[in-house]
Amino acid sequence: MGDTLALPDYRDLSPDLVKRFQAIGARETILEIEHLRKDFTGRNGDGAGMPPVLGDVSFQVKRREFICVIGASGCGKSTMLRILGGLEPRTGGEVRMNGHSVSGPGADRGMVFQEYTLFPWLTVKKNVMFGPKMAGQGKDASEAEALQWLDMVGLSERANAYPHQLSGGMKQRVAIARALANYPAILLMDEPFGALDAQTRCQMQKHLLQIWKNVDITVLFVTHDLDEAIFLADRIVVLGARPGRILEIIQVPVDRPRHQGQLLSPHFLAVKNRLEQLIHPEETPDPEEMKDLPLVRMTQVGDEAEP
Amino acid sequence: MLPPLYPPTGPSTGPQSRRVPPNKPAGMPLPAFQIRKPLARRANLWLTQAAFLLPLLLWCAISYLPFVWHPKVDILDPGSVDYFQKGMQVDRSEFREENAKQAAAGGHPATGTRANPVYLPAPHLVAKALFTAFRTPPLRDGEPWLHQSLGHSIRIIVLGFLLSALFGVPLGILCGTFALVSRLSEPFVDFIRYMPAPVFGALSVAILGIDDAPKVAIIFIGTFFQMVLVLANTTRSLPAALLEAAQTLGARRRQLLLNVVVPGVLPLLYRDMRILLGWAWTYLIVAELIGASSGISFFIYQQAKYRNYDNVYAAIIIIGLIGLGTDMALKGLGRLFFPWEKADT
Repeated sequence: MGDTLALPDYRDLSPDLVKRFQAIGARETILEIEHLRKDFTGRNGDGAGMPPVLGDVSFQVKRREFICVIGASGCGKSTMLRILGGLEPRTGGEVRMNGHSVSGPGADRGMVFQEYTLFPWLTVKKNVMFGPKMAGQGKDASEAEALQWLDMVGLSERANAYPHQLSGGMKQRVAIARALANYPAILLMDEPFGALDAQTRCQMQKHLLQIWKNVDITVLFVTHDLDEAIFLADRIVVLGARPGRILEIIQVPVDRPRHQGQLLSPHFLAVKNRLEQLIHPEETPDPEEMKDLPLVRMTQVGDEAEP
Repeated sequence: MLPPLYPPTGPSTGPQSRRVPPNKPAGMPLPAFQIRKPLARRANLWLTQAAFLLPLLLWCAISYLPFVWHPKVDILDPGSVDYFQKGMQVDRSEFREENAKQAAAGGHPATGTRANPVYLPAPHLVAKALFTAFRTPPLRDGEPWLHQSLGHSIRIIVLGFLLSALFGVPLGILCGTFALVSRLSEPFVDFIRYMPAPVFGALSVAILGIDDAPKVAIIFIGTFFQMVLVLANTTRSLPAALLEAAQTLGARRRQLLLNVVVPGVLPLLYRDMRILLGWAWTYLIVAELIGASSGISFFIYQQAKYRNYDNVYAAIIIIGLIGLGTDMALKGLGRLFFPWEKADT
């Protein structure tokens, strides 16, 4: 792409955005990742000699920033998120959340996964009450809390439904409400809309931006969808594979508030063009996938599908 | 004027393809035989009834249509055959040979009617036995009535199964949750599981006496070890993603076990227990024949000894009805307990 359109430099920021990034930069850092490294060694050491899943990843996240992490498959983006969430140990480096080293899962880091993880035996309301109850809150307090968050994601009417009665998009909205009910400092999202159809996905992105605007929450959002990353993020962390490492951190030059019309704006396309270059450079394609199909013909001459 | 883009065409004259004509879907001859497709509700009801009616029809055919089977002859008049007696049942071939001999010797031929063996009574006899079973006094004083036998059997099963569940359910859940518990107990449980429960019969009588205790013990041994392994595997089937989600919501170990693992697998454990309860009935038959024989199996053996096969079948059918009834009741209760489970379990 880009062979017919003259696109602006993806690093051009409007004066408004320059101000916004300065303001974000002045905020306190809530998540610090320093020289993060992850090796996979199988039980028999069969991972030995392989490049690490994550080589040397360092970046910082400021309060109320929206960061997207993007990269080709196998770049370790999900692994990184799981390490930040405390679900997997790291083999090197340091992760600090509000200044404290991360050593396991905790309620300060809410997570939303791609697969549906609502508890099927609990109603929507009780799913959202789960976090507050684990923290020792009483029934009434956590119920009030849950209803407030369900209101926020527009599902208060389904409070007494069971998860299997909800659509995929609704399930993920409840999952977001459930994570937020713990008042986490950061929301770690691992391709949360990956299983949804395109339309629902768009709607969910809008919902998420609205929630983010109205709640004091920082978001770290892993995706492999370029449009999604650009549409949502302040900054995009682009990871490369084998070993997983940061290729570039892009400040998205698209103005806020975001809307669907921007998907074809020059700045949007400029970033997309840059992401394409970073993620799919010329030399990486898997040679097996790139082979031409053999020329076998099963139709008759004169019955052409295209000239 | 431009020619229309899509001129009207007759039947395709284009290249012949080997595609199947659209009105004949390949491999689906009947709507009733579609691979892994559910049937209509009405059809389901009909088929459920047919599942019971077909065997019953077969039984009726064998019982009431003499040409279907009836391999025996009930002697009405022994004629000149010296060892035949009225009411005696002999093979048809034997009956023919003896009559042929009599015909050759000039004696009276025996007469009789074709009949099924005594061990296969006709449906109406069994039905009658079913209706009168609970009102028929035992043949000898001191022997239990049918309802007493049944009550005794049910008590043994309930006691044995509850005892087994009391230890088996917690141990199974712990095995499925903690690798340490699993490693420590499962190999041994697996080892015992392969020993048929009846081999412990003599031992339990020696240890526990001849009354109900050894019978309860057999039910326990027969179900406990299976239960631990089955429940452990079921517990392990809980998606790890649910545990991880709960951890990121701040759940600690104890909370994970009580608020995620247990409620998460409970409906599946309940289903497993329903299946295991069926096993308990199997072991009951063994259990009741050790020590002092008792219960429904003893009743069946007694009735068979008196050649009251209609009562034998009646008792077997009663066991089946009790089993089916309990299972359906438990299934219904399950729907009540676990409203989040989809209807198909």
